[in-house]
Amino acid sequence: MAEVNLPGPGLWTTSVGSFPKPDYLIAARGRFARKEIDREELTELEKQATREWIEFQDSIGTDLVVDGEMYRGDMVAYFAEELPGLEIGGLVRSYGNRYYRKPIATGPIGREQPITVDWWRYAQSLTDAPVKGMLTGPYTICDWSFNEHYASRRDFVLDLAKVIRDEALDLERAGARYIQIDEPAASTRMDELDLVSEAMAIVTEPLTAHTITHICYGDFHNAYPKMLEIPVDQIDLEFANSEYSLLDEFSDDPFTKHIGLGISDVHTHELEPVEDMVEGVRRALKHIPPERIFVDPDCGLKTRTVDEAKEKLSNIKKAVDVVRAEL
Amino acid sequence: MPITTTVVGSYPKPPNEGDTFRVRKTLHALEKGTVSVDDLHQAQDELARQVISEQEEAGIDLVTDGHVRWDDILTPFARNIAGFEIGGLLRWFDNNVYYRRPVCVGDLDWRGPSSTDAFRFATSVASKDVKAVIPGPVTFARLSVDEHYGDHDAFVRAIARVLAQEAFELEAAGARYIQIDEPALLNAPEDLALAREALGMVTSELTSAEVTLGTYFADAKRLGTEIFHLPVHTIALDLVSGPENRELIKSFPGDLKLQAGIVDARNTKLEDTGELQATIEELAGNVGPERLRVAPSAGLEFLPREKARAKLHRLGEAARKVGA
Repeated sequence: MAEVNLPGPGLWTTSVGSFPKPDYLIAARGRFARKEIDREELTELEKQATREWIEFQDSIGTDLVVDGEMYRGDMVAYFAEELPGLEIGGLVRSYGNRYYRKPIATGPIGREQPITVDWWRYAQSLTDAPVKGMLTGPYTICDWSFNEHYASRRDFVLDLAKVIRDEALDLERAGARYIQIDEPAASTRMDELDLVSEAMAIVTEPLTAHTITHICYGDFHNAYPKMLEIPVDQIDLEFANSEYSLLDEFSDDPFTKHIGLGISDVHTHELEPVEDMVEGVRRALKHIPPERIFVDPDCGLKTRTVDEAKEKLSNIKKAVDVVRAEL
Repeated sequence: MPITTTVVGSYPKPPNEGDTFRVRKTLHALEKGTVSVDDLHQAQDELARQVISEQEEAGIDLVTDGHVRWDDILTPFARNIAGFEIGGLLRWFDNNVYYRRPVCVGDLDWRGPSSTDAFRFATSVASKDVKAVIPGPVTFARLSVDEHYGDHDAFVRAIARVLAQEAFELEAAGARYIQIDEPALLNAPEDLALAREALGMVTSELTSAEVTLGTYFADAKRLGTEIFHLPVHTIALDLVSGPENRELIKSFPGDLKLQAGIVDARNTKLEDTGELQATIEELAGNVGPERLRVAPSAGLEFLPREKARAKLHRLGEAARKVGA
């Protein structure tokens, strides 16, 4: 377990990972796809957008900063594009009118070079606050891909775990003290929670950084307290969109790790009032001490507009300041 | 004896590689207010036409409109039932696909048909029989939030009453085949008696339509052979995600038809036609070729368009070879 070395009494503010891309970047990604601009030109705009998001987080006093993933499309496809053994497949729908290119495992998965380290270095160079390293977990990459190669899901997941471990070690060598390995799919199948843990152990065992996993959309009432077996220091969960119902579970089975407390629903345009968020944090404090709580939105904010995302983040900070003053 | 082929329901909405994704573009434009709902309906009609002709070209005997107008099997109905609101996103079983959960906030009441216009359009462009698909009452209730009835059985019965009217209207619109999807029943053996009663209610007004109970994503082991005694003519079983269903099929009763899901609707790896043929022959031996219909394991929307199409072609080819 890595110590959290951040200023203040706890209730540290952070984000789950993605932020919306500004209009100029969305347009540039379209032009890049149509080969109207080159990679360098796109990268410059991705850097500009990253800089703007870091400046915004610094301006509201965020404790643990993210780079906002301006250079990523889908959280699985981004890694699949870089990893030998995975190919980008055709479009499939995830919900509503949203589609993604679902990867296909066509051979043994490997890694030729670091994928996220240069971006992490760039983001960290822009701020004094620590920047999270952001990886997609092996179970989720497997679960959100087709498999034409591996004989079993376990074989597929464990090969991915070794690749993600190597990436995490490279982030740590570059200086990352907080590394998040997202497993939103972890709550999909209760009979595979052990596989989630087995794979996560491969990733986190050699790390000294504070490790985090984000899990969402799940059958939490069945996954808890078993999910506490996942070998990470912090689990980040969505609370706002279920009206904090998960907190009730903590009365019977105490939450034993650091928690990422999602207090703003990312799938609604509606901006939650600060008072509601304050109430949510106060409720969480009845179960978990402040030095084990990070406060953030429920999930990545990339589906909101830039303004909506900024308003949600600002309100989260305001709510945290209110509760911190009561400590 | 030819083996008949069908699909479970949904079909990929994205275009074949290189073509314009008209439905997605039109939905975006509709959000911005630059096109009308009529434009969306035209785009959806065009897609339904393509999807039906792709199924027919693959040799599918009993087609659907691919649910091209739906995001999932619940919300198109819930939107049209008084007492339901549409809630937050939730995972659709164990897939990386999300649906909006209906929330029941008052007495449920049928406000008119939800699916008959789409069914009529599909029959007008299809040269084969079209199957209508509706959600089953147990699955509908289990995947919704009940803030009103406060009693699961009462909630299921209220949904069944509304769905009975939908089924009646579908038959009146010419539906000879109606599939009632109950994937959630597979993990709810405690609802079996309730399902029997509720399915009886849904089908009570039907006079001649052949009714299929649709199940997928898992095996029916927890229901056991009781699943064969529900008030339907055909049972659809997923033999890919539920390989143990093969064991159950050995006790298949003589007065029921089997819709066997034998092509993986959730993975891109293409099945070998010879192996499919062997599977069909074995199943025909179990239940009799005249009582067997073969299909993908679930709706095909989990696959990219080209893969769905390629899989249907292999299914059609294997079924023809067995029948030859």
